[in-house]
Amino acid sequence: MRKALIALLVLVAVFAFSERVLQIWAMGEEAKNLHIMAEKFMKENPGVKVEIQAIPWSAAYDKILTGIAGMQLPDLAQMGTTWMAPFGAMGVFEELSPYLEKSFINKDMFFEGSWQTVTMNGGVYGIPWYVDVRVMFYRTDVLKEVGYDHAPQTWEELYDVAKKLAQRGEGMYGLSLLYTGVFGNEFMPFVWQAGGRLFDDKGNVRVTDPEFVEAIKYYARFFWEKLAPIGGGNLFQDFASGKVPIFFSGPWMVSMIKQQIPQIEGKWSVALMPKNKARTSFVGGCNWVIFNTSKNKDLAWKFIEFMTRPENQLEWYKIVSSLPAVKEVWNYPELANDPIMRVFGEQLKDAKSPPNIPEWEEIANAISRRVEEVIYKKRTPESAAEALKKDIERIRKR
Amino acid sequence: MKKAPSRGLLLVGRIDEMRTNTLWIFVFIGPALILLLIFLIIPIFASLYLSLTDFNVFALTDWSRAKFVGFRNFYELFQDELFWKALFNTFYCLIVAMPVTVTLSLLNAVLLNREQTRFKNFFKICFFLPFVTNTVAIAIVWSWILNPSYGILNWFLGLFGIKGPNWLGDPKWAMPSIIMLVVWKAVGYNTLLLLAGLQSIPDFLYEAAELDGATSWQKFWYITLPMLRPTMLFITTMMIIGYLQLFEEPYMLTQGGPLNSTLSVVLYLYRQGFKFFKLGYASSIAVVLFLMIAALTLLRLKLSKQD
Repeated sequence: MRKALIALLVLVAVFAFSERVLQIWAMGEEAKNLHIMAEKFMKENPGVKVEIQAIPWSAAYDKILTGIAGMQLPDLAQMGTTWMAPFGAMGVFEELSPYLEKSFINKDMFFEGSWQTVTMNGGVYGIPWYVDVRVMFYRTDVLKEVGYDHAPQTWEELYDVAKKLAQRGEGMYGLSLLYTGVFGNEFMPFVWQAGGRLFDDKGNVRVTDPEFVEAIKYYARFFWEKLAPIGGGNLFQDFASGKVPIFFSGPWMVSMIKQQIPQIEGKWSVALMPKNKARTSFVGGCNWVIFNTSKNKDLAWKFIEFMTRPENQLEWYKIVSSLPAVKEVWNYPELANDPIMRVFGEQLKDAKSPPNIPEWEEIANAISRRVEEVIYKKRTPESAAEALKKDIERIRKR
Repeated sequence: MKKAPSRGLLLVGRIDEMRTNTLWIFVFIGPALILLLIFLIIPIFASLYLSLTDFNVFALTDWSRAKFVGFRNFYELFQDELFWKALFNTFYCLIVAMPVTVTLSLLNAVLLNREQTRFKNFFKICFFLPFVTNTVAIAIVWSWILNPSYGILNWFLGLFGIKGPNWLGDPKWAMPSIIMLVVWKAVGYNTLLLLAGLQSIPDFLYEAAELDGATSWQKFWYITLPMLRPTMLFITTMMIIGYLQLFEEPYMLTQGGPLNSTLSVVLYLYRQGFKFFKLGYASSIAVVLFLMIAALTLLRLKLSKQD
């Protein structure tokens, strides 16, 4: 009798502790809402408990870094695309090719530029969750005043409309561009549009190519001719007042404009990047990564599969309105019938991410520094490109 | 003769007592010492060693990948244009901000020390508030104040018909703007220290001077200033140490820009170490900064001894 009781107790205990816990680190708005999806996942997988730890974006970088240094990591985490390379180089992400072989997930489900962010040195180290892509935001009414009933389509048109907009008077500008800090991600689209690149297939630095120099010149000219403001202002106020009626930004701006400056509702829209040789934009967003310290890798992969399923991608879009990484979802009426979302969907087809190498942050710093020197007329575009080439070669040498 | 053995016994007892005392001393300060060792002493030596390696992003999870490279980091550092720029900017801040801070703090302290001044505590709180406020919050507010088109500072200058500059967007004005913020933040703390110094000057010195017919300017020059010397030594030394580590203000307001005109040594160190993960290189910057601070502090102490 007593033995039976003990056996029963042991059995109960085993069942009670067999509940598997999946730990997830998530950031920002995602972290606040992820529990909705987690509950659904737990319903589908009895005996699994999902623990979400919310980390504010401002602390996320340090948190992951210290987590890696102390090897105190969750099973699964949300990872910004530009953080893939540096943290990936530390060798903490699980290589996912073996999982992909047995799964419905494959690279063709995702946008090319987005998939680019999960591959490094021939391996796959993450699965895209949601994307963000930069497009042109513009004031339809203000552009109409200077004779544009459509968004500028080409580089020439963008320059032309900026010039006309700036001529409206003192303190009036054509568009807003970044000129200080680190703006590699904002500048690179112009290089891609001009047909330029950082490296060729052999890894040679190609920033002195005429296409790259053309991009520097085009970018800096907006500042030289005072078509883009240097310093100051407030993006929302200036957009609302029409002082700066064009800027480039990501999908988060849509809801921010609606919240912060509702008075211009119906007077603004979004458009594709202007075309030179191409209309390429920057694609970012977040991926899912599994840490190789995890003891629940199969479960973590199951969660990734769950989040990648088109119906769940759509549900997630409805919750936080971040852009789905799975292409198929863009055909659903919720996105296809939304005029603003349609532009984002179209732009995603022509969007790149910067090279996925751990030195990118340093290279982006160098690019920003040299372009800034051109903007402030400390260098010619040609000499800046030469200097940049030396910088990048020095960075890559180590 | 009889006293000799008892003296010996006494001595033995003393030593015993001392032994137990040392034991107790270690029991009490031990925890603090261990913490100090783990979080200060060991990191200092680790960083000294790191500065001689090429510790980078690949070595973070596997320390064996960091190679010993001797003084290569320092060699590269002294050829690094941006490091020199950062050094220049940091000294620019120190050389301008220090005298301004001292002058303003002294002025405030003297005014607060006058018997006629009213609402002393109110002013003390006002002066001290910037010092205890979070720099991040301060920086956000200042970025609004300094905004060239909507900022209150340029609006104020506009009242006098002056067109204010593009404070943080102009490479010439960015550093002065940072210095403005740094000084404003430091004045309160130094005012209180100087005020304490002023209050410890005995009244009879002034009374004696008055009997001799000294003007108030003479009293200030020949009594107040010399008597404040120990306080001055303290605040200037702390200022050298503090200003050479300029970081938060440019980090929050300009990230070192425009044209790296507000890049400070510590900001550059942060960028190299925690953005580019070149911890070896960053450590060599830290070592150079440490040597500079140590040298300047010693120089300051030496100068004060000569007086």
